[in-house]
Order: sequence, then C-alpha cells, then structure tokens
Amino acid sequence: MAARLCAPRLAVRAAWIAALTMLLAIVGCAKKPAPAAEAPVAEKKTGVLLVSHGSRSATWRKALEELGERVRGPILAGGKVKEVKSAFMEYTEPSIATRLKEFDRDGFSDVVVVPVFLTVSPHPFDDIPTIMGQKTDPQSLETIKVEGIERYTPRARVHLTPLLDFTDLLQKNILRRVKSLSTDAAKEGLVLVAYGDETYEKEWTKLLEKVAAHVGEQTGIKTSAHAWCGHIVRYDPKKTTAAIEQVLKTRERALVIPVLVAHDEHFQVKIIGDGIAAVAGSKEKVAYRPDAILPDDNLDQWVIRATMERATSLEAGGGLVQR
Amino acid sequence: MVLHRDIGYLVTSLLLAYCVSGLALNHADLWNPDFVIQKREVAVPRRDSSADLSKEEVAALDRLVGEAEHRVVDRPTADQVKVYYEGATLHVDYSAGKGLYERVSRRPIIYQVDVLHKNSFKPWRWVSDVLALALIALSLTGLFVLRGPKGLGGRGWRLVALGTAPGVIALALHG
Repeated sequence: MAARLCAPRLAVRAAWIAALTMLLAIVGCAKKPAPAAEAPVAEKKTGVLLVSHGSRSATWRKALEELGERVRGPILAGGKVKEVKSAFMEYTEPSIATRLKEFDRDGFSDVVVVPVFLTVSPHPFDDIPTIMGQKTDPQSLETIKVEGIERYTPRARVHLTPLLDFTDLLQKNILRRVKSLSTDAAKEGLVLVAYGDETYEKEWTKLLEKVAAHVGEQTGIKTSAHAWCGHIVRYDPKKTTAAIEQVLKTRERALVIPVLVAHDEHFQVKIIGDGIAAVAGSKEKVAYRPDAILPDDNLDQWVIRATMERATSLEAGGGLVQR
Repeated sequence: MVLHRDIGYLVTSLLLAYCVSGLALNHADLWNPDFVIQKREVAVPRRDSSADLSKEEVAALDRLVGEAEHRVVDRPTADQVKVYYEGATLHVDYSAGKGLYERVSRRPIIYQVDVLHKNSFKPWRWVSDVLALALIALSLTGLFVLRGPKGLGGRGWRLVALGTAPGVIALALHG
C-alpha cells in the first residue's frame, strides 16, 4: 500500500522539480534586446542588405536568395560595396537582426538596405525601419514583439533605397507575362491579383491601374480588373473570382496575372487557384500561370543600379540616413 | 488516478490560457486580438504635397490630436505625412483632406496569453512542448480512470468515437 502511494507522490515531486528547472532555464535564456556592437569603425565600409518579406514557402525564399546571388557579383565588381547579403523580415532566418549583427561584427560603417517590396506598405515604411531601430512606430514595435521578430539597432549607418514602383520595371514585367498568355487580344481582358494593403490601398490601386493601362496600350487588351489576395481581404479567393467574373462580362477570356514578388504556394496555388476554380467554365475562359515577378533581369538591374547609386553617393559623402 | 488528477492540477492554468488565446486567434480575421487600436479621424486642409510642410504646420497637427510633441515625421508618399508620437501615430493624407490618429495599447489578458500561444518568447516553446506531452498523458490516463459500464469498455468508447467524429467529418468535407 505504502509503495503504491509513493509512486504518484514521486511523480508529482518530479513534475514540480521539472517545472521549476524549466522556469529557471527560461529566466536564464531571456535576453534583453541586443544593443549595437561597440567597436569603433575605422574606415568607410559599405554593405548591401536585400530585405524581403519572408515566407514559409521554400520556393518563395529560394527565388529571393537567387536574386541575392545574381546581383552579388556585379555589385561587388563595382568596388564600392564590400558585401551583399539577404534577409527576411519574418518567418525564417536569416533575419534582418542577424544580418545587421554580422555587418557590425565585420566592421561595416554603412549598410544600404534594399527593400524588395512592390510598393509602399507598412512593411517597408514602418516595420523594417522599426526592426532596424531607426523608427519607433508603436504598432510595428508591438507587432514585431508579439511575432517574435528581433529588433536590433546597428552601429553601421542604415540607408534605405526607394521601392520598386519608382521604376517602370513592373509595367515591363507584367507586359511580358501577359504577352506569353495572350492568344487573341480583342477577346481578352486582364486581371491583376496583388497582395494589397489596408493603409495604402489608394497607392496600390493606382499602381495596378497604371500597369493595366500600359498593358492596354501595348497589346490592345483594354478591359481590366484587379483583386487583392492578402490580409486586406483576409486571403479570400472570392475576390479573385469576382474580378475575373467582372472581366468575363464583356470579354471571352480572362488573363490572370499574379502581381507578387515570388511564387508562394499559398497565394499562387491556393488563393488565386481556388479563386479561378470557382469561375464557371474556368478551364476555357481563364488563362493563368502561377508565376511571379521574379526572376526578372530588369529587377536584378534595378537592384544593382539602386545600390550602386547609393553607394556612390555615400562615397561622395552624401546619402540621407534613414531615421 | 492520482497521476491523472495531479497532472490535471499542474496544467490547468496553462490549458485555460491556451484555450482563451485559441478562441481569440481563431477569429483573428475579424479582430486584432493582441492590440486595442483607438482610431480618430481628423480633418486637415487639402494640399498637393507634404514635402514643404513647415515645423509650425507639424506642431499644428500635434495640437490637432492633443499631443504635446512628436518624435519623428516621415513621408510615405508625396501627398502624405506620418507623425509619430509616444504610443501613437497620425497618418495624414493631404489629397483626401483627412488624417487618421491611432493609439495602440495591448489588449489585457488576451495579449499575454497570445504571447505564450505564439511562442513569441522563444524559450517558451520548451514549456509548450512539455504541456503538450502532459496533455497527451492526461488524455490517455483519462481513458482509464473509470472502469465498468461507464468506463472505456462501456459507454466510454462511444463518447470517444463521438468526439472523434467532428474531425473525421470535417476532413471528409474538406476533401
């Protein structure tokens, strides 16, 4: 009897000891936000950090890593930049903090940060500068904390380049992809599907309308519509369906183009794919390829040009330090 | 029996925390479970560009939303400006003639349980692993607490089957 009572008591004691040990381990592991390295920077040494959103999709990450590999050689060959690295804002390593620590450790005085984002949104405007300690947007600050994203203020000065929509890159990219799907422009309409953003919906709409107008001028595909597939519509495929159906009211065939930086199964296959599948007669009426903006030689050139321009301006003593 | 009871006591508080955050996160598409964002729209005079905004005009924006001083001013686009305050922001769209003042605060309790549920505190994942193992032990020992006609050999297995059914039906419907 005594032995039978003893075993559960031991189990409970063991559980208590385990719980307390774990608590101590957690307290021990808890880290304060990492401060910048303190070693002084002797000379000007510029690095480049390509920052993209990040995704759980390995295909998506690979596309961005490959972009980094492609531009690395030409940027380094220019002689003004000593290192090129890539980082993801969330989900996976290497994170922005990890890379900035590496730049600090290696004694870089300046880091040119290239946000590989389509257009203005809270990510490049608020979140990334907040992660880098350059801004303290209250919402970003709280969100990155709850999402477990590390904040790090580098010792190196940080310089952000403009976003992609400052060039005509997107127009050329979409035009090329539309032409590859189009068979009879007179009977076709265009549907652009992009992530979208609540705060800057006006700017996103303008951008897509500009792209659609350019495609219209170049191909004769004058009818167009757009849909969001991101958080703004709670990832709802019905928005894609609605945009396609709008185009099909006046045209026989809809060309659906994902205006997304890279391929992510969740977006190109699940959300947009489901949206297309819900259209009656979609197999005959909808032309779709689950591709993305990347790879695009123009984008590579844009990254190279943007970083070289900023690096040259830094060497000449210019360059606006991002807050 | 004793083991089942004591594990139950041990996991009660964390299990409740996970249930509360689970409910909150289940409906994250309908609300922001972590933060309370107080929003207030303000009217501003229309203008074409925010580039030539003077210090006095920014100070006027501060007064408009009842803030003593701002920390930073930045321009997301040519016709917009965003002013940052301690725990708040004012995002002005001059072409629309309006601004949105937002003050962010943590939603009590829900924020804290979400931090645990999302493993925002990295070492916590080890605790949640232990909790998961404890819940497995709790479920399995629970099957054998009662014996006889109300135990697993009696009506118990029917209830286990009933509890399994929603998941099976959902998966069948999902395809």
